[in-house]
Amino acid sequence: MDHLKNAKLKSRMFPYLMCAPALVIFTVFVLFPFLYGIYISMHNWNGLSAMTWNGLKNYLYVLTDSVFWLSMKHTFIYAILVTILKNVAGLLLALLVSKEFRGRTAFRVAVYMPVTFSYVVIGVLWSWIYNPTFGILNNFLDTVGAGFLIQGWLSDPNVALYSIIFVDVWKWCGFHMILYLAGLQSIPRDLYEAADIDGASRMQKFLRITLPQLNSTLVINVLMSITGAFIANYDVVNIMTGGGPFNSTEVALTYTMRTALSLNNMGKACAMSVLLFLFVLVFGFIQMRAMSRDENYAD
Amino acid sequence: MKTKKIATRTLAYLALLVVFLIIIYPVVWMIAGSLKTEQEFYQNVWGLPSQFQWDNYSRAWNHAKLGQKYVNSLLVTGGFLCILLPVVCCAAYAIARVQFKGKNWVFRYLLMGVMIPGGVLAIPSFALAVKLSLVDTRTGLTLFCVAHSIAFGVFLMRSFFISLPKSLEEAAMIDGCTRFGSFLRVILPLSVPGLMTQVIYSGLNVWNNYLMANLLIRSPEKQTLPLGLAIFTAENNVKYPVLFAALVCVTVPMLLVYIAGQKTFIAGMTAGAVKG
Repeated sequence: MDHLKNAKLKSRMFPYLMCAPALVIFTVFVLFPFLYGIYISMHNWNGLSAMTWNGLKNYLYVLTDSVFWLSMKHTFIYAILVTILKNVAGLLLALLVSKEFRGRTAFRVAVYMPVTFSYVVIGVLWSWIYNPTFGILNNFLDTVGAGFLIQGWLSDPNVALYSIIFVDVWKWCGFHMILYLAGLQSIPRDLYEAADIDGASRMQKFLRITLPQLNSTLVINVLMSITGAFIANYDVVNIMTGGGPFNSTEVALTYTMRTALSLNNMGKACAMSVLLFLFVLVFGFIQMRAMSRDENYAD
Repeated sequence: MKTKKIATRTLAYLALLVVFLIIIYPVVWMIAGSLKTEQEFYQNVWGLPSQFQWDNYSRAWNHAKLGQKYVNSLLVTGGFLCILLPVVCCAAYAIARVQFKGKNWVFRYLLMGVMIPGGVLAIPSFALAVKLSLVDTRTGLTLFCVAHSIAFGVFLMRSFFISLPKSLEEAAMIDGCTRFGSFLRVILPLSVPGLMTQVIYSGLNVWNNYLMANLLIRSPEKQTLPLGLAIFTAENNVKYPVLFAALVCVTVPMLLVYIAGQKTFIAGMTAGAVKG
């Protein structure tokens, strides 16, 4: 009797025990810091001495700080452009590569390569490519007679942000190409054959068959690039420009880190983190909903 | 009609060639640069080095103490995977296959991690690490990386487990296997592709992690590779060929791993992301 009871208890406890480690680690190292961040954001704190309560004052400081708004503007420009460019480039490349041709595997391997590089390596490499005097970009433009395009790619405040955006797209377009390619290959051939019989044009086939059939691939690609685009830009920006020149590449995260680490204003930095979280919450929520829906992933 | 076809074909090839060059040339250029003398680096910007300067590599290796940094990166990434995989697989299996009270809540709770990006957590995580005396420890860095990867990991493995047929475990359990036994002996061996995706995707993220490492690690002997490289950029008179040699040292091993496992890598990345 006791034995049976024991076994029953065991099988009842089983799923909870299986989930426990994940729940504990997640709670301690993600959820707790998140709530702690909200708590800190309502205090005056330099990271060392005791915290003093100051209510919502930090939020007031942040919301009236023009550099914060500038950095938010850059964050949005960055996120939107990067998301569009990565997906357009990825899809175009996938369409070009979807047909057999000589050197196709080599091309796929090569384009995917930068995905494995760290942003530190990429940042250093491209800072040097963009170097106004010794960099190969200006050298190249000079050689092909497009000297009028020569500029300080990272030192001109009007250009620097876009130069960094290009680097991010350069790193990731191969990744999106591979995902789109897999999507393209899963479209049933007979759809195109039927369209050929009906005499559809190339454009019609693309708009009426390819795009609708790629729908779920598209959703995942866009979601994968967009949430990252708001947050994951710290590494590359920090290495390439550190937010300069004249804050022209300052994004929300580099400004947050600077406020915390150089200006020792933890409270204000946490308030900025909370606000950034609220701004990206919409996208995060859509992504979470898409991920918890099963039909996108079934079998 | 035919000439038009040839024209579009040529155009497509040309576009592919341009993209190929834009992607591959910086890498070739990095390797070429790492083998030049400093003078040649500035004068012969485009071409191959006239004489290979191999000692740039030994200088880079010794100057940045890359050996030590390699060990640290391996420790952190290895430890990360050793903790992440069992934790994520157990939770994902229970959520995918066992009926229990609060199951949906557990899943949703963990998925919240997707909405809280690591960057937003950086500063309070640092404050927490100070409290738990995890600052400047590789353990601390490992634990935070695990926590940040749990949400995506559980999601990925759950969708993988769901796609496996139920009859397999049922057969094993009829043969006297316990639930956990059938998970270990039947389900996990079948999940190798899913596990590979996890290893590659999350492992690469941690290997290349800069933000958390930069926040948490203080002493040079505990730094991971990305931090070791960043040292160079902070110096005043950087010897660029040596810096480039360091870049190659850090990049090429990962490239070789990638090229060797290219098929699994790509299969893993696309699995689950595309409706089959």
